Amino acid sequence: MATRIGNWLNDRSGWRGVWGAIFLRKIPKVNWLYTLGSATLFLAVNQVVTGILLTLYYVPTPDHAYDSVQYITAQVPAGWLIRGLHHWGASAMVVLVGLHMLRVIFHAAYKYPREMTWLTGVLLLLITIGFGFTGYLLPWDQKAYWATTVGTRIAGAAPVVGDAIMRIMRGGPDLSAVTLARFFGVHVWVLPAVLLSFIGIHLYLVIRNGISAMPKRGD
Amino acid sequence: MDENKQLDRRGFIVWGIGGLISVAMAIPAVAYIVGPALQQDTAQNWIRLGAASKVELGIPTLFKAKVQRQTGWIVNEQELSVFVRTDNGRDFAAMSNVCTHLGCRVRWIAERSEFLCPCHNGVFDKDGKVMGGPPPRPLDRYEVKVENDQLFIQGG
Repeated sequence: MATRIGNWLNDRSGWRGVWGAIFLRKIPKVNWLYTLGSATLFLAVNQVVTGILLTLYYVPTPDHAYDSVQYITAQVPAGWLIRGLHHWGASAMVVLVGLHMLRVIFHAAYKYPREMTWLTGVLLLLITIGFGFTGYLLPWDQKAYWATTVGTRIAGAAPVVGDAIMRIMRGGPDLSAVTLARFFGVHVWVLPAVLLSFIGIHLYLVIRNGISAMPKRGD
Repeated sequence: MDENKQLDRRGFIVWGIGGLISVAMAIPAVAYIVGPALQQDTAQNWIRLGAASKVELGIPTLFKAKVQRQTGWIVNEQELSVFVRTDNGRDFAAMSNVCTHLGCRVRWIAERSEFLCPCHNGVFDKDGKVMGGPPPRPLDRYEVKVENDQLFIQGG
């Protein structure tokens, strides 16, 4: 039955070809270090799912943000789990992205013809850090407030344009309701859109160019 | 995948682990989404209205009380208006002043001994029973108790 449905769909969509290109492609003999990218992708999916769930209750205004987070953690069934997965998944994702990058560096896997894969990967790393930076403010507790105060001030230390950048990030001279709202907007709309686009390009390139073999002595 | 329809060892592990992760994620997610809808109304404490001696025999007397109601992460203060009536000074009946039709406030018309809702002419008798108009059911009742001449209500 499942096969017949699969055949019916395949006649009309050719999905088996897509499936084969993604999951049945030829790869060189590799080791567990080559799974770091997939692990990062898994975490990205985890962040998307738990993040969408968190927005069901979270409110990005100074008078309700903290209380809504406490509500999620203490009152909503499994809220502690959803928030915990998002919280720890975020840290784990930064770590895994870093390890993934180190593996590519040490294996010199960024060389021709994979320069574009490397470049989109660097962008994905920056986007991930952007997620971490904007998401850190959202619980609106003391740690979040002061971390963002310091973080935006670091941006403000840049010569000439620093002050303007800091004001744009904060939406004014100080951290305020405007800051929280725009960090939320960037965290749940801008960055996800960019992230998913670049993940698509990154994966297309990985599949199209194949992955590099383990370097041999003398390479 | 095409040729061998039998689920092989690798397929079993992949689909098995994938399925387990999906289920482990889906069950908390569903609980998380529907959870607040299933929670019981928690405002079931006794609410103090005022002195029972203020209620004259046979005449519904309006009491107002402030109640704190928590919805999600917001605590609202609501004003509750309740008619209290007694025929003998010992047994009290408390009913809401909210019309059961569309939620307007009913008022006591002393000369007719009836509650009247001004919105659509709903009429209730002194016990809150529907006498005329569109209301579908009697006025909501509260449980009442008297302690040291103080009236308390609960539920509704």
